[in-house]
Amino acid sequence: MRRVLTLAVLIIINFTLQSTIFGFHDINCITPNLLLILTMSFGLMRGRKEGLLVGFFSGFMVDCFMSNIMGPFMFLYMIIGYINGFFHKNYMIEDVLLPLIVIIVDDIAFNFMVYIIYFLLHRRLELSDYFLNIMIPEALITALLTVIIYKFYVACNRHLKEKSRGKEAK
Amino acid sequence: MRYDRKKDISPKYLLLALTIICVAFMIISFFAGDKIAFIKRYTNMVVSPIQQGINKIGIWTDSKLENLKEIEALNKENEELQKEIDEYKEQITIYQNKMAELEELRALYDLDESYPDYNKTAAHVFAKDSTSWFSIFYIDKGTDDGMFVGANVMCHDGLAGIIIECYDDYSKVRAVIDDNSNISAKIMPSNALCTVEGNLNTYQDGVLVVKNIDKDAKISVGDKVVTSHISERFHQGITVGYISEITYDTNNLTITATITPAVDFNNISDVLVITDKK
Repeated sequence: MRRVLTLAVLIIINFTLQSTIFGFHDINCITPNLLLILTMSFGLMRGRKEGLLVGFFSGFMVDCFMSNIMGPFMFLYMIIGYINGFFHKNYMIEDVLLPLIVIIVDDIAFNFMVYIIYFLLHRRLELSDYFLNIMIPEALITALLTVIIYKFYVACNRHLKEKSRGKEAK
Repeated sequence: MRYDRKKDISPKYLLLALTIICVAFMIISFFAGDKIAFIKRYTNMVVSPIQQGINKIGIWTDSKLENLKEIEALNKENEELQKEIDEYKEQITIYQNKMAELEELRALYDLDESYPDYNKTAAHVFAKDSTSWFSIFYIDKGTDDGMFVGANVMCHDGLAGIIIECYDDYSKVRAVIDDNSNISAKIMPSNALCTVEGNLNTYQDGVLVVKNIDKDAKISVGDKVVTSHISERFHQGITVGYISEITYDTNNLTITATITPAVDFNNISDVLVITDKK
């Protein structure tokens, strides 16, 4: 229960941050994908199921506010969380390189999918422009933030684990 | 994470289920967006106050950032102004230099007035011999400005030297204190002819040697030595210096005197060149 609450709060915080502060000064500025970091982190730390669920609800939030059709972002975040869950086997607490690589691949894949769904299908064919001006910068800034935020998530996860274990021991 | 098969659902099935929900959402929102609008509304109700709060924080931080930016901008402006001040300071020094130059030129002009019968051109000294007391210097006017080899060069109120080499836009001037310099002069007011020889050794003491003064000439310390009318290269009447010491030569026929040159050769920046040929 504690975990569910924590995750819900985290999702909301990340969503609000992503939708406000990071896009505050300039509407067209590159926004780091905080929800993707969250999804990736928990998918990596906790496995497929939690990644799946975190991704689903993150996408739900995004869908609720951003797109007029519910679903696409839900699906995207969910799939990414699920796939990241496969790397749970390779997960080590101290390892920063794996999440870094994963988040870059995730972000580019995510944006590529968004591009396909929202741009390519609307006949916006300038992939290289989008790639250079949006995808790469976003991937980089997201990766940069991952380095900072991921540590916090790891600590958070450890804390939750200890709590639940303590409960079980009782 | 290990999941209990009995308790938990397999991630695969969960994925499948959620995918179905997603697709359902998509279909419903696509065909009947109004029907699920309430979901958006309710989530909005939960999240938008937080967003607004964060936005306020955002505005606050933004204003702070703006302040920081302003500080930065002010710093930048300050820097720019500082630069401007530096520029102005530089300009002031330039003007001061120009003022000094002007005064010098005015002094030269006075000189010009005292020798009205010669056409003169002002020139700047731009290079000196590398020795501390140079005997050769360069001026920034050459044949293009009417200079020629043998032109007399004056400074302040005295003879400075003679052009020995002349190029398109600069000339080489040999000062009267150079060892090779030899000027036919006369001592005023007695009109006694003499020769002023450049001598750097004596110039170390600040004097030039005047030779071949007739022993009967009535000269005294403080008399003015000017270039003579019999000189081939120098116009007559230009001050060379003032007699500071008189000694009778051992041959008892001539007097040798030392003169203090009228020109301070350690500090020479503007000169006048007489453009008339002798």
